Amino acid sequence: MTSASEVAEIVTVLTESQRETLRALIDRIIPADDFPGGWDAGVGDYLDRQFAADLRPLIEMYRAGLDALGHEARATTGSDFAQVAPEAQDEVLRRVEAGDVATDWSVDPAAFFRTVVEHAAEGYYGDPGNGGNRDGVSWQMIGFEVTG
Amino acid sequence: MSAHDVIVVGAGAGGGVAAGVLAEAGKSVLLIERGRELAYEDIPRDHLRNHRYSRHGHNTGPSLDGNPRVLVDSDGQEYTLRPHEDAYQNNAAVVGGGARVYGAQAWRYLPADFEMASIYGIPPGSSLADWPISYADVAPYYERTEWEIGVSGDSAESAARWPRDRGYPMPPVPLNRQGVVVRRGAEALGWPTVAVPLLINSTPYGGRPACINCQHCIGFACPVDAKNDSQNTLLARGRATGRLDLVTEAMVEQVDTVGGRVVGVTYVDHDGQRQSARAEVVVLAAGAIETARLLLNSTSPEHPQGLGNAHDQVGRNLQGHYYPGAFGLMSEPVHDGIGPGVTTAITKFNHGNADVIGGGMIADEFVVLPIIFWARNLPPDLRRWGAEAKRFMRDNYTRVARVMGPVQEIPSPDARVTLDPKVRDRWGIPVARLSGTTHPETVRTSAFMHARAREWLAASGAQRIWGSPPRLKLSGGQHQAGTARMGDDPANSVTDRWSRVHGHDNLYVADGSVHVTNGGFNPVLTIMALAFRAAEHAAKSW
Repeated sequence: MTSASEVAEIVTVLTESQRETLRALIDRIIPADDFPGGWDAGVGDYLDRQFAADLRPLIEMYRAGLDALGHEARATTGSDFAQVAPEAQDEVLRRVEAGDVATDWSVDPAAFFRTVVEHAAEGYYGDPGNGGNRDGVSWQMIGFEVTG
Repeated sequence: MSAHDVIVVGAGAGGGVAAGVLAEAGKSVLLIERGRELAYEDIPRDHLRNHRYSRHGHNTGPSLDGNPRVLVDSDGQEYTLRPHEDAYQNNAAVVGGGARVYGAQAWRYLPADFEMASIYGIPPGSSLADWPISYADVAPYYERTEWEIGVSGDSAESAARWPRDRGYPMPPVPLNRQGVVVRRGAEALGWPTVAVPLLINSTPYGGRPACINCQHCIGFACPVDAKNDSQNTLLARGRATGRLDLVTEAMVEQVDTVGGRVVGVTYVDHDGQRQSARAEVVVLAAGAIETARLLLNSTSPEHPQGLGNAHDQVGRNLQGHYYPGAFGLMSEPVHDGIGPGVTTAITKFNHGNADVIGGGMIADEFVVLPIIFWARNLPPDLRRWGAEAKRFMRDNYTRVARVMGPVQEIPSPDARVTLDPKVRDRWGIPVARLSGTTHPETVRTSAFMHARAREWLAASGAQRIWGSPPRLKLSGGQHQAGTARMGDDPANSVTDRWSRVHGHDNLYVADGSVHVTNGGFNPVLTIMALAFRAAEHAAKSW
């Protein structure tokens, strides 16, 4: 289990701007419909815990990737990623996913995106004990019920 | 220095059986296990850290640090791997071994599985061989395993495929919706089905309750102790005699010899201290990779290449199981949450297939964790993110069926465990170095079985089918076997027909290492049966 002090420590891992970008990114990877999107379901909480644990070695990649995504959005849309309309966010992400970026990235854009997608899924579909999937909401959505 | 009649290395499926049998036979036993003894509460239902999905670790060890292995791929590239990384070929390091968290499929090998070379011939480049013993030699021990550890199954369906003197002690676990659907498909194809035998209590048995059909069976410990393995049966019985000492968090470094004769082992205890233990008989049951590593690390002036390795056979023929299968989007829901999930198998393709060697069993799947469904079960052309991916999860988690099964591998002498010349574990002991691949015939048989999986799903009402046949690779994993195989000729085997290392009448192997071939079935019942047989032989020897 992650202690409270560790969680308190890692909210400082990302800058305000990086966290804004991350939140918007997570909510395009798992968008809200009549079930919550990734962030509201606790993917951010999952990442908070994991940045203090298994994902500690990937913090630098997250910082660099989120900064690069911010630059990419500003260069191609004129706005911060978090301020762009969802359709335009998806358009940016499709190019990032394909490695077809317009700006200089210090990390491999496709690998960064693939990694965040995987971690978002872990936070959303994993067990609530890992900090995400708040109240088992994704399990209710898909029909996975724990009976014993 | 401690002294016992017997030392058993490894408290997994085979070692637990051997230790229990020998203790009940009146021998004093020291059982040494590298992992810990964990209660149900100590084995988390962590969906991201278990032996089914280990992206961030395991719930039953080994610990991620200090236990590396080296993999050499087909291009000669070397990778130093941690236990949760792909290709490490991990198994749980805990009292009970992999069986503490297994799916508990309880298959006998078929009579033909012991005679593969005679039936099919030996493909060029393979080390395919017959076993020195037959199904009839093992059958009494299969029966003993089924009754003393506890197997549920359909006795009549089994008797139609295996010669057997006695039925199962328990009926099959309940059928679920997935089983109903795939049985309908099999019937349409004219393929006879068999209820999957399980080392799980379908009724109260052995003083423990029946399965409660939960959704966390494979990869996890049982919440009601209805999953049977050696730690809650033979090991418990052995401890009840007062003659069995269990030492945990202890890593055996080498088998010790004096003048060439086995006299005991040296191990590193949980405080990091080296300890010598002495015994009349030593039984190795550390799993096919670690048992081979231990034999190779046990060098002496009389055995400069390691124990049992005068003919360079230890560690060769590493095999496991290829698992061809396919996914189908079914026309009706198949997930109703009734675990363990696997219910129904086809065994008609284990042998007698035109143009391929051997074959394999094929069955439906355990209840799938949602994150595993996301990571592995989605159609390949589905975008993994966005509204479409979420929608697919929502609509189809309950509607995707998977059928798959273990293919009997055609062994290659080049698929092997050696010692890495540089990398050492936390105790300074040279680690296992894995290299080579299975024989290409395994890939051909797997492609054949992949096609059968698709055929079965189509007949069961799949609207869409996906999945690819496996490619050539090193195999081992939880079903690892073959690295100290039985044979009558020391030139091409490591152990004799009683699982004794050639040239050592007091050194036995009681894990999958002794398997000459690994069947087209989950191997644990055979590992346990041969452990009964070896231990009984050892107990009678003095």
